[in-house]
Amino acid sequence: MKSDMEHPDDEVSEISIKKRRFRLIVAFGLVMSVIAFLISISISAGGIVPVNEAIGAMFSAIAKGGTNLNTVELYIYSSRLPRAIAAIGVGAGLAIAGCMYQAIIRNPLVDPYITGVSSGAGCFAIAVVALGVSIPLIGSNSLYIIPVAAIVGGLIAFGITMGVAEGSGGSASNYILAGVIVGFAFSSVQTVFLSMAKDNLSNAMWWLYGSFANITWENAWIVMIPALGISLIAMVWAREFNLFMMGEDQAKQLGMNVKRFKRTMMIIASVLTAICVAFCGIIGFVGLIIPHACRMAMGTDHRLIMPASIVLGACLMLFSDLIARTVLSPLELPVGAITAMIGTPIFAYMLIRRGREYDG
Amino acid sequence: MTDDEVLRIEHLSMVFNDHKAVNDVSYSLPKGKLVGLIGPNGCGKSTMMKCICKIHQMTDGKIFVGGQDISNMRPAEVSKLVASVPAEAGQTFGMTVMDMVMLGRYPFIDKIWWETEDDERVVREALRTFGIDHLRRKKVSTLSSGERQRALIAKAYVQQPILMLVDEPTSHLDMKYKLDVMEYLQNMARNDMTVLVAEHDISLMARYCDLCVIMKKGQIIDIGDPKKVVTEQLIRDVYEVDARVGLDVDGEIYVLPKRARWDNNPGETHFESSNP
Repeated sequence: MKSDMEHPDDEVSEISIKKRRFRLIVAFGLVMSVIAFLISISISAGGIVPVNEAIGAMFSAIAKGGTNLNTVELYIYSSRLPRAIAAIGVGAGLAIAGCMYQAIIRNPLVDPYITGVSSGAGCFAIAVVALGVSIPLIGSNSLYIIPVAAIVGGLIAFGITMGVAEGSGGSASNYILAGVIVGFAFSSVQTVFLSMAKDNLSNAMWWLYGSFANITWENAWIVMIPALGISLIAMVWAREFNLFMMGEDQAKQLGMNVKRFKRTMMIIASVLTAICVAFCGIIGFVGLIIPHACRMAMGTDHRLIMPASIVLGACLMLFSDLIARTVLSPLELPVGAITAMIGTPIFAYMLIRRGREYDG
Repeated sequence: MTDDEVLRIEHLSMVFNDHKAVNDVSYSLPKGKLVGLIGPNGCGKSTMMKCICKIHQMTDGKIFVGGQDISNMRPAEVSKLVASVPAEAGQTFGMTVMDMVMLGRYPFIDKIWWETEDDERVVREALRTFGIDHLRRKKVSTLSSGERQRALIAKAYVQQPILMLVDEPTSHLDMKYKLDVMEYLQNMARNDMTVLVAEHDISLMARYCDLCVIMKKGQIIDIGDPKKVVTEQLIRDVYEVDARVGLDVDGEIYVLPKRARWDNNPGETHFESSNP
């Protein structure tokens, strides 16, 4: 058979190159995340605290258990630290959820809200905020009433989407179409609730455009641990996501149980999205653009894209939150608007540079 | 099943919404042959191939590959025996040639994440064999149609199957690449792999294939040496086309379609001009 043996870099191992790139992403990502985290806790509307002082204040506040704190410690411990922790979880979670959906549905225009999760979550959250609807077992003044309503609404919407999609054949296109119609349905109900909100309209709008302003220590961990945990666990299936990129027939032919994998990943990605939006509202752009940017920068291997998405999503969210709370202080901006303002020009630049060789 | 048989199909049927796409098909293929699967659009060629590699679950019948009944085997086990080459790569999201071909090693990888040096060696050998090693870091979307087709075949080749199913490999290719791809497929058959190719170019199939399987309306019409099977009568029966079938100066079969046989002959339709 024909052969072309002569190449200068013939013996270079591609797997070794990938492993090296993976280690670099992890190391660089950890350093980047720590830097972004430290910047985030050092700067606030009140001014800039030197990083070394911020680190000292953070550790001393933690050592004191959050009691008897001085002004700087109090700012960092009670406000900036929980926000930063939640931002890391939400940024990483939304980026990974977007990455998973784009791979499963094989559509570059897909974001974590494609299965109607955000519309369902929004509809239920607005019902609570605007109309004062109560939830059994949860007090009407509880901090958790909106997040619980959002998670329940998001999962109900996803359940309906999944039911319609599976009932119509279960293909990726069926999921998109079912998600779009379910999204429309919940959005229209949400609009009705909004028009009835009257005095509570401003609170409702805050949730709809995303904000970390109401994050406390308790809910920061509730967001961060499951969001980051699920994101890291999802990376176990990175090779299966690679296989899915060739289409369902090819994945099936190579021995994958396509139906089970798709259902499981859809459920995981939707739960992840619901957790991310529950406490902080709907933050767009991150789940759509971060996986794209990672793909353009480092190819299609999900073993590289997924860790890079976690890092980039977390960093973008940290910086977006920083800008949202400082740039027009004391006015706080919706973080979803900032993620789009930062990400759009960067993504446009990457698209112009690399778009021609990228068919996704 | 004899030692020489790679594929044996017994009474295979596949029904979609009351339509029998494949209807009680039985045949067997020997080892190391290039086999052309010929028939008109919608006759069940692709459906039958998808049943063989378990993309579709057959409605009835039995399929044996290498002597093993695949109906009770897990898809992952079947993929070590049978590989399939799609007609097109489709959207590849900027995937490189190396990454795409490496996907063919999926059934063999036991570890969670990384392929082994052995997997990489198999892939690099395949890339060299198909003359695309120098393109391994290029994106699949930037390759020519011929190079892309070779990459798809290489991906199936690294599964190290005993039976390869190839769906319309030359449909987008010019004459040179058509011959090029067929040469590769023929070489694989010469190296003891049985290759079943569904294709519309009957001249090309007759020239390269050791055997031809002819399908019409979900059933096998004929099977055998292309020089004996491909006749003007067969083309008329299967495709409803008048064609000249002959031998060229090198003794190779050519099929020259002349006219389609329609119930309502479009050649007799009088088109009215919109111009006065």
